[in-house]
Amino acid sequence: MKDHTINFSSQPSTVSSPHRLYVVTGKGGVGKTSLSLAMVHHFKQMGIKAFYNSFDNPPDKELCQKLDIKSIHFSTDESARTYISRKLGSEMIASWIMKTPFFNSLFNMLPGLSSMILLGHLLKILDENPEYVLIIDSPSSGHAMTMFESTHNFKEMFGAGLIVDDIKQMHDMLYDQGFFKAIITTLPTEMAFQEGLELKKYLQELDFKDVDLVINDSLVGWAQSTAVSKNSLPSFLTQKLEQEEQILLPYQQDISLSIPTITSGDQETLILAISEILGKKSWPQ
Amino acid sequence: MASVNIPEKPIEIFCGTGGVGKTTLSTSRALFLASQGKSVLLITIDPAKRLKQILGITDEQAGNVSTIPVNKFPGFEQSTASFDALLMSPRRTLYRMGKTTLQDKESQSLPQDLENPILEILTRPNGGMNEIMAMIEVEHYIASKKYQTIILDTPPGKHFIDFLEAAHKIQKFFDKSFIDIFKYLGKSLNKIEKSAPRRLLTMVVSSGVKKLLSYLGKVTGDRFVNTFVDAIVILYNNKDHFLEALKFQEQLKVQSFSNWFLVAAVDQQKILDASKLQNRAVTFMHEDNFLAINKCLGKELSGWQPQESCQIELKNSMLKKEESLKYFAARNFKSIIEFPDIAQSSPEVHVALLAKNW
Repeated sequence: MKDHTINFSSQPSTVSSPHRLYVVTGKGGVGKTSLSLAMVHHFKQMGIKAFYNSFDNPPDKELCQKLDIKSIHFSTDESARTYISRKLGSEMIASWIMKTPFFNSLFNMLPGLSSMILLGHLLKILDENPEYVLIIDSPSSGHAMTMFESTHNFKEMFGAGLIVDDIKQMHDMLYDQGFFKAIITTLPTEMAFQEGLELKKYLQELDFKDVDLVINDSLVGWAQSTAVSKNSLPSFLTQKLEQEEQILLPYQQDISLSIPTITSGDQETLILAISEILGKKSWPQ
Repeated sequence: MASVNIPEKPIEIFCGTGGVGKTTLSTSRALFLASQGKSVLLITIDPAKRLKQILGITDEQAGNVSTIPVNKFPGFEQSTASFDALLMSPRRTLYRMGKTTLQDKESQSLPQDLENPILEILTRPNGGMNEIMAMIEVEHYIASKKYQTIILDTPPGKHFIDFLEAAHKIQKFFDKSFIDIFKYLGKSLNKIEKSAPRRLLTMVVSSGVKKLLSYLGKVTGDRFVNTFVDAIVILYNNKDHFLEALKFQEQLKVQSFSNWFLVAAVDQQKILDASKLQNRAVTFMHEDNFLAINKCLGKELSGWQPQESCQIELKNSMLKKEESLKYFAARNFKSIIEFPDIAQSSPEVHVALLAKNW
């Protein structure tokens, strides 16, 4: 299924997005999917040919349709088969290799390997389509870390195979200035936020210069946007507000964006609301 | 105090996605049981940094058991009890299994004959072997009969099935397909010099297997293939431990042996996952499975009567989140235990307050 060959519009992009590849990561349930979809929607409003990808999870096709968002999806198996058939020059051999349980186990046991091949596949699409922008909704911070580490790990492990040049190319693309931005999504609670900070530091240690930390579901943000008077709030909420302020105050320079708690009903409305906020705050930059 | 009756079992397993408070909750469970006079071991994998601080475990100590006194938690100062905690290190589990003697207790690197880049990756926190290693550790401590209850805090997964299935991943290494390779390797295992990996490839004469490996070699380079085959040999040498751990895992499904807790949090729920639970949990799990809903605000919300429309909207939105989670929960779990949202910065206080809730 090649979603990305469907025509966007006959006009070329009038605006260019700041980066070509965004990876949205963070622990489970923090709002990565909503943010990723909102970003694609926001870019689309700006006339950018942006696509959504949910990496090794199946995308929510219904939601994408409702939001009129184009997604690109490959299973890790598809990517591996495509890759191997290209390298060995034969789809038949590739299929045979993929069917062997031996190969299956290899893939299952080395999580970074299939992630890396899938990432490589996506990067190739970006390479072949210079106007495309891709937002990857990464399954969880654990997976994202494995994915980023893998270009380093496997470069060493694969001494001289065909795969090494490809890894190098991937590596170069990812580290090319202005190409890639990592977005760490987190919540304004003590443990979640600390983990977000740690992940940011970790990615910066891997030499990724562009790492944004985004706070989701900020009650403080909600209070500001609704201009609610704190006196009228019950004590359990004022406590939460105070705690949030306490946690985030020392780290204002680390936070790139704060998304307020949004009280709308369904996920579609929520995503549209976030997209609007992204527009207002001109983020990402 | 929970109105739910939780029967006493030798093992309690906490599952759930990342970020719901699994580790904090399982620690509070350990604290609670210890304060009731039980001997408890808490096994955790990759907990948040802050929690490592409370438990007094550093990354360097991973693989070694620490003893945590109950009285260091606020509200439990009178207690003389303690509980043990173990931050799992798959690597140390691996070489405890191996025949090498541990030269350096603190060392986190693999001993020489287990040195293999693939195994190094596999035994990292995000490598493929967390779950099976956890099984091996649990089995080891149950056999030691030192603890009345062992609490296992599992790596993030959607729920019980993820954890059980993950351990089975290793079984694929020992399945029929590998028999081919092992047959040829096995015959000459004693002749294999680990410093001459190239010999391994030449020993593999089966045309099918040789072809496969040679194709792989073209794509990944022979060095990788050699390394991979080496890794297989190492794992194969220890296969009895793995197969035993898999058998042990079956025991976990026995009602008299285990309690299963699935942890979900009101502020981090995924409705999609909740609806999948509907079909799967009941069919294979025994009756003693509990849903622990963390970060509940139900009580406070019902006592709140807002006047402004934006506040009314907020209340409804928060209530809806809780209601929808509890709705799905009721259809799948024998019992639900609610834990309040705790607006406290200190992990010790947080854990102590949760402990009061059991």
